Formats: sequence, C-alpha cells, structure tokens
Amino acid sequence: MATVSAVTLRNALCQLQCRLTGVPQHAFGYVGLVSNYCQVRTKKQTKAQYKLEPDWFVNRKNRRQGKALTGDNEDFVQEVIGDTYRNQDSMLKEDPWPRQEYHRNTRRTGVVAIKLGVVPQWTKEGHKFFTTLLQVIDNHVIRYTPPEEFEKTSGWKPWWGQRFGSVVVGAMSSDPRNFSKAYNNLFTEAGVPPKKKLTRFLVTPDAAIQPGTPLTAMHFRAGDHVDVQAKTIDYGFQGVVKRWGMKGMPASHGVTKAHRKMGSTGGGGDKSGIWKGKKMPGHMGDKWRILKGLKIWRINTKYNVLYVQGPNIPGNTHGVVRIYDTILRYKRPAPDNHPPMPTWAEEDSQQGVELEYFDENLHVMSEASVSYSQ
Amino acid sequence: MNVICRQAVSLTQAARSFSTTSCLHELRKLSRVRVVDNSSIGRAAAVAGKPGRVIHVYNKQEVATLGDKVLLAIKGQKKRAYVVGVKQRQKAGVPRFDTNNVVLIEDNGAPVGTRITVPIPSILRSKEGDFTKILSLATKFV
Amino acid sequence: MALLAHVARGCSRIPKLQLEAALSVRFQSTLSHNDTKARRARELRPRRNYLLNDEVEQHRKSLLQQSPEVEEIPVQQAEANVPRDFRHVMPEFLPDPNPLYRDRVTEKLERMDMYRRRTCIDIPEFYVGSIMAVTMADHHAPGKQSRFVGICIQRSGTGLRADFTLRNVIDGQGVEVRFDMYGASLQKIEVLKLEQRLDDELFYLRDAAQEYSTIPFDFEPVPLPKGATVPVNSTKVKLNPRPWLERWERHELKGVEDLNLPEKKYRRARQVAKPWERWDLMKRQRESINEDEEESIMKETYMETESTRRARGRQKASLKKTR
Repeated sequence: MATVSAVTLRNALCQLQCRLTGVPQHAFGYVGLVSNYCQVRTKKQTKAQYKLEPDWFVNRKNRRQGKALTGDNEDFVQEVIGDTYRNQDSMLKEDPWPRQEYHRNTRRTGVVAIKLGVVPQWTKEGHKFFTTLLQVIDNHVIRYTPPEEFEKTSGWKPWWGQRFGSVVVGAMSSDPRNFSKAYNNLFTEAGVPPKKKLTRFLVTPDAAIQPGTPLTAMHFRAGDHVDVQAKTIDYGFQGVVKRWGMKGMPASHGVTKAHRKMGSTGGGGDKSGIWKGKKMPGHMGDKWRILKGLKIWRINTKYNVLYVQGPNIPGNTHGVVRIYDTILRYKRPAPDNHPPMPTWAEEDSQQGVELEYFDENLHVMSEASVSYSQ
Repeated sequence: MNVICRQAVSLTQAARSFSTTSCLHELRKLSRVRVVDNSSIGRAAAVAGKPGRVIHVYNKQEVATLGDKVLLAIKGQKKRAYVVGVKQRQKAGVPRFDTNNVVLIEDNGAPVGTRITVPIPSILRSKEGDFTKILSLATKFV
Repeated sequence: MALLAHVARGCSRIPKLQLEAALSVRFQSTLSHNDTKARRARELRPRRNYLLNDEVEQHRKSLLQQSPEVEEIPVQQAEANVPRDFRHVMPEFLPDPNPLYRDRVTEKLERMDMYRRRTCIDIPEFYVGSIMAVTMADHHAPGKQSRFVGICIQRSGTGLRADFTLRNVIDGQGVEVRFDMYGASLQKIEVLKLEQRLDDELFYLRDAAQEYSTIPFDFEPVPLPKGATVPVNSTKVKLNPRPWLERWERHELKGVEDLNLPEKKYRRARQVAKPWERWDLMKRQRESINEDEEESIMKETYMETESTRRARGRQKASLKKTR
C-alpha cells in the first residue's frame, strides 16, 4: 500500500512539475530506476490512470439538484426551453460558408451514432452476411477550429503541423437543466440545445463546416467505406482465463485453489523478473477500438440508420460509435466519385430524398428472388 | 502395418467404457466413416462390423468437411477417400447427412467403386479437388 | 398562488424573475424532471458505456430535436380482428426477448423487410411436422434449381434470421437441409400436407426407423378442407434401441412410444429434471416479451400479411390451433 501511494505521489509530482515548467514529462523520467533495464516485449496494455484536465475542459455536471415541479409546471418549463432554442440566433442565420471541391487529401468530418443491433442481409448472388445498424440521432456541428488556432489550443504541438483543423460534433439534444452553465455555454455559437455526447474530428480546412449545421445519415452514401470507432464491452476486473484466454489449471490431480490462475510468470537468469506487458488479471474492455474499411450497404433516411458491414462493431447495443470516411488508401472516396462536401445539404437531392438507398450488390427485399441464368 | 492397424482397432473397441457421442459431430482422426460406393473392400468392412477409420485428414484444421481428402484404415489397408457427406451442422441450403460418407479412391485419383448408392451434395461441384470422376458415378444430387 | 396558477396554465409569458421564484417553490407531492427510472438505474450501476433503452427512446422523440420521430398511430382493434393463436402461425415476428438485444427501431425495420419479402414469395402457414417442398436457386443443379421435399423437424430463429429444417430419407440415407425463411435464393415454399405433431422439435426421428421420415419426392399435395382446423398427427414413433444421439428419456416427449429402459435411467431422469420451472414466473417473464407489445406486433403483422394474401387472391386459411 505504501509503495502504491508513493508511486502515485511521484507521478502526480512529476506531472505537476512538467506542467509548471512546460518541459515534456519524459525529461523527468525515472532516471534513478533504469538501473535494472529490461526489454519491453509489447507496449503497455493499461491506460494512463493519472491525467490532468486540459485547459478547454469544462465540468458538465450540474451541481444544483433538480427542482421538484408539478406536472403542469414541468410541461410549462419544457415549453419555455423549447421556445428558447427555437428562437435562438445561430451562425446558420448568416450566409452559408462556400462549399469547396473535394481533393485527394481531403478529410471530412464524421458523425456520432448509436449501435442498434445486427441483422442479416443477402447479396444479389444469394450470399448471406451480417450488417450492424447504426442510428445517427440529432447530430449537429458545434464548433469549427481552423488549423492555426487548433495548433495553439490543443495543448501540445501537433505532429501533423497545420494540416488539420477540428470539428466538434454533438449528438442527442438534452434538457439544459441537466448540465452546468459552463457546459451549456459551449452551444451558444451553434445555437442548438446542449448535447449529450460531444466528439471531435480532425478535418482539412477545405472540409470546414459552419457551426449549427445538422449532420444526418445522408452524410455518407450507400456503397461508401467507413471506419467505425467505439468502446468495447466493459467486463470490469477479470482474471486471466477470461481476459487473455489462458487455460488455467486442471480441475483435479492435486490442484488446489489454482484452477483459473495463470501458471508461470517468467523464467530465471538473465530473463528473470516479470517483463513489462505480461498478461495478467485486470480491467477488461471499455477501450476504444477501430474497425476500418467497412462498407455501407444500405441507408434508411426516415430513421437515419446506416447498415454497416459486419456483426462485430465494438460495444453493447446502444453504445456510442464514431463513424468517418475510411483512411484506407484503396477504399477512400476518389475525387471523381466522392460523398457530398462538406456534408449533405438539401440542394444535393434535386429529386427529393428517397426513403432508402441500397448498394448495387445488395438484394432488395421487395425484388424477386435471386435466380441463376441457365 | 496391417497388424498394427488391426491391433489398434481391437484395443479401442475393447477399452470403450466411455461415451463416444459427440455433440459437434466433427469428422476427426479415428472416427468411423461409411463407404458409400460399391467397392468390395468397403462392403466387406461394413459386413465385418468394422467400418473404415480416418487416420489422417489432408487439411490444416484436422477436421474433415465436405470435399476433403482423408486417409482411411480399412480392412487392414490404407486407402485414400473423399468426404461426400457429413453429420456436422451445415450452412443454410447445404444438406447434412445422418452418417459421414466417403468414396474410396486409388492413389492415382481414380475411384475404386463403379457406382455411388446415396445422394451426393451438389455443392461439391464448387469445392476444390478432383471430383469429376466421383460426380460422374453419382446417381442423385441434393 | 395566483402566480402559480398562472404558471400552471402556461398560457402566457411571465417575467423571468417571477418564473425563477416560481420554480424554487417546492411541492409536497411532486415530480422531478430527472427523477426517472433511467436515473435510478444509472445510480445503481454507475459504470456504463452505453445508453439505456428509455434514454434512447427519449432522445428519438425529444421535442428539442430538429426532426423528432413521429409517434405512429396504433392499429385500431376494430380494424384488426387477429385470430387468437396467430402468434403460433408466424412466431418469427416476435423479437428475441433478451433485453440486451431489444431495440424498437431495429425490430421495426426488420419486420418491414420481412413484409416486403413476403410480397415477393409466398411463405405459407406451416408447423413442425408438416410435409413441405422447397425450391431453391442452385448454381450446380441442372436447370439451376433444386427441389427438396421433407418433413419439417425444427423451426427456430426470430426476425430475418428465422429458419426451418426439413428431413427426408433418400435411398436409405437420412438427409436434412436447413433453409433461411427469408433467404434471397428461395424460389418457392410449398406445404404438401399441413399438420402438426405432438412435439415442438422432431429430432428424435434421427433415432427412429427410416420409414417415419421417408417421403417420396413426388408426394401429392393433400389439401385441407375449407375452414378445417389444422389436424394434429398423433402417431407415436418407436425409437431404435440405444445408443441414441441424446438421452430422450429426459426430454418429456409426447410423440414417442414407451422407451423400455431400465428403471435406473428413469430414476436419473427424475433426478436431473427441473419440474419447478413450470411455475417459475420470472423465467417465463424473461423468455417472453410483454403482452401488450406482443399484441401490437401481432396486429401489425396480421394487417400486413393479410393484405398481401388478399392481393394474391387466396382463400384465408384457417388459423385456429387445436393443441
């Protein structure tokens, strides 16, 4: 216990020191501890546990308790809130920003969606496969920061220089009484109600979006490929059998109290000691994972649902996922055939928006069965 | 070799005091198979109550599926065979059989028998392997 | 109090200061805007990286949204006179009751797909025990189509994953084929003989004599008289002697003759039996969905499928179940 608290204290002191002086943390590394040098096999598996909040961080929790109201008064307050946001000025009331051309290196913003479930679909060849349904609920662009400013605000010097600015996207409007005043103020520029989920996408300046712009499932097209980023299922603290798939030990033959333990932790001699990255019990899941190059097979515009390839999008049902254009070279949108820039607007669909869009290889349920020509 | 094979068979049969029911119905090494062509060796093995046994599967998984080549120990001989029907759970639209069926072939790939007595899954045509002679022996496809 | 009445009516705007004063008044029997079921659940389980079902529903229909989802008008009772046992006719329309996989929009979209598929291909009423013929597109068959006839021994899966298994004996070889009910390559599903058996699954036919599952491929369709109920075939199957694929004495089978096992086997079956599960209300709750929900789904399904059937100009089959 004493060692743990000493480590904690040292980490905190180290972070404080580097924060005060502005010198990177590794300069204060554990110089006194490197005497027993050991080879690192893999990178560190665990998350950094001690973290200082960045400058732009605002506490979103409302410290005031919810006021108790009668049903009528509650309705009235909700009406007032609705009116307030409907009549609020937003940047969209200004002239829209000019739309720019798509370039080979353009990176557009993404959207935040909710994972709904997995259903099978069939191709035109009659082959069955699974798709995951992702619903884009009430997405808005909250803020755009051009690269020059983003470089200053990010708290460190971005290695990509001035290639990318940032777009903050929010999903799911909420009651402002649930959040602190500082958090609610983040949304005044965009003129939308405070959002439940906020996320940031790196975009190139030609894909800049005006704050307050809504994002829908039409941001993508059926047949495009996307990357999907989400948090895996949170399993809590787990042993080695579940976390790393180790075998445990036999059920009998003299084994006592060690049926689900890991066996040896390492060798002796030069390679003695427990190496960094040793697979051990610990917290499992709840980590960000990315699946790259998934195809969008189908889009439902009524419910804003994307049918994305694969049954294995990380996380539970109703988990939050980030979706953006894939970065894979051969699956990225090409300049001659690209999705709407910087996002879909009503003027893009001259004939009106259809209820559903399908990939050309997908078997549409309202069409005749697949049959092979003789 | 013949002697060893025979001994192995009799030993395992004598020592069988445990359940051999497998829920996955995987066709692995030492599992019994049914020879479905009219070769005399296959019929003789069935009559003797000692149907052939898989002693090797020519794939990396070591579990034979439709269209895989296996090595059998049958009537004291080593014979190659193609799997033409399995008990294991199959994809939708692919037939699953009550027995694991094989067709014996010679070392040069020609089938031993001249006729196949049970239906053959037509999906075999899409599998890799030299089945043309075997498929020409079949009378029914499912 | 006058102010409060004003607030309660909500008819006109009131000055901001007065509003705040009114909001700070606490009432004895009150509602709090954030004292919800979801909030209480959140307190019970703080670590959670996904949203709860009612949170998602709240956001879908929230008036703060730009385009909230419009509440759909439920089908009137008078319009949909759903037969009593309709859920046994189309069980695949009821969703998986596991709360981890429930979602209203997924289920809705899945059902819409199923209705669309049913307009293109006739998926008739059938039960486990019915004799059926399925025609399927097949790359390798002559004529690029293959037809399989057999007795239905299992029906499983919900939604678009629904499937059924047919069994037949061809040239002395037992063959079973599983078909996706909504698969794209199914061409035709015929019910040659509509009947039920005493059990929900007929896997014991694998351990029975072959004549019980032998059906000729040129089986003549047996039409059911108009308005007749679906008959229950009460034949008792005689199983082969052991060894079996499963220990059938533990399965409470109704369609099987006496198994003639030693008393030891029955005693062991009684030991491992779980007779209390019949009265386990929580278990029943877990394995079925809410009755109201089931009723509304079945109403919708009945309306949709009935209109398709009428469009085909078919006679309405009798749906009454006589189990």
